[in-house]
Amino acid sequence: MFWVLDYLVLALILAGGVLTVRIRSLNGAVMALSSVGVLLGLLFVVLGAPDVAHAQLVVGAIALPALYLIAIGKTRTDVPEDDPSAAGTDRRKEPER
Amino acid sequence: MREVLVAGAALVGLFFSLSAAVGILRMPDVYTRIQCSSKTVTMGVLPALAALVIGEGAFSQYGARALLIVALLGVLNPVAAHALARAAYRTGVPMWHGAVQDESLEDAAKKSGDPGDGRGGDGSGKRRG
Amino acid sequence: MSTLYLVVAIAEAAVAALLTVRLGLGPTTCDRIVALNALTTQAMLALLFFAAYADRTGYLDAALWPASFGYLGTIIWARYLERGLL
Repeated sequence: MFWVLDYLVLALILAGGVLTVRIRSLNGAVMALSSVGVLLGLLFVVLGAPDVAHAQLVVGAIALPALYLIAIGKTRTDVPEDDPSAAGTDRRKEPER
Repeated sequence: MREVLVAGAALVGLFFSLSAAVGILRMPDVYTRIQCSSKTVTMGVLPALAALVIGEGAFSQYGARALLIVALLGVLNPVAAHALARAAYRTGVPMWHGAVQDESLEDAAKKSGDPGDGRGGDGSGKRRG
Repeated sequence: MSTLYLVVAIAEAAVAALLTVRLGLGPTTCDRIVALNALTTQAMLALLFFAAYADRTGYLDAALWPASFGYLGTIIWARYLERGLL
């Protein structure tokens, strides 16, 4: 009856993917991506592939969010108010701390 | 007999894990959620790993990994909770509107000779969550 | 005994489902970090108990990654929020 764990983890991975797309804050999206990596490692172990799970846990849950974190930290997100090229972005509407 | 012990320890661990999840869902602000996360998750992991050690024996591979994870968790979990709470306070996350004490703010006010009333974060404590 | 391990693994994964809700709707980044930390711990527990259910000791080593680097990741996130990563 381990298909229960299988489908439960699969549903959690789908929820994490949807959250990665839907969360407006960049840090929150990276965190949802990290949760997808952890749960995908769990799914690989449940499906019987521990070596793939090792690679997924190291890359998907640790290295990839760290790389995104460095990229986000190096990018300016505070757009000046009178910049006409920033008219379409509503990223600054959500000052998430 | 051993199965009863394993089931009991696992049940205690599951109860604390579930209460941690409900606390993280229902608590009103970040600091109370950090409190739920650190203490209750530790209390949920320890009986579950004890169940694994009881069930498989302390000198099996399962018991060795479980004891290693217990050691890691006991060192890293308080450090992580402390770092997270300090980062949340430094970045000015507001407290719950019902919070009554902010000793860090009182200390800062005392040090600068200005009596603060010691209430709530940056003063804009809206209820969140 | 083996079924008991599987039931515990499923229950820990269900607790992780509750934490995903807070990961989705946490108003600040710190809420999401708390939820992600607890979710990593629950996934690690589910992995350990699934290894005990399947009786494969090779599955156990994958649980050490979330145990060690999950908390270190939390510390790194806190440092990033406080003063930037680099």
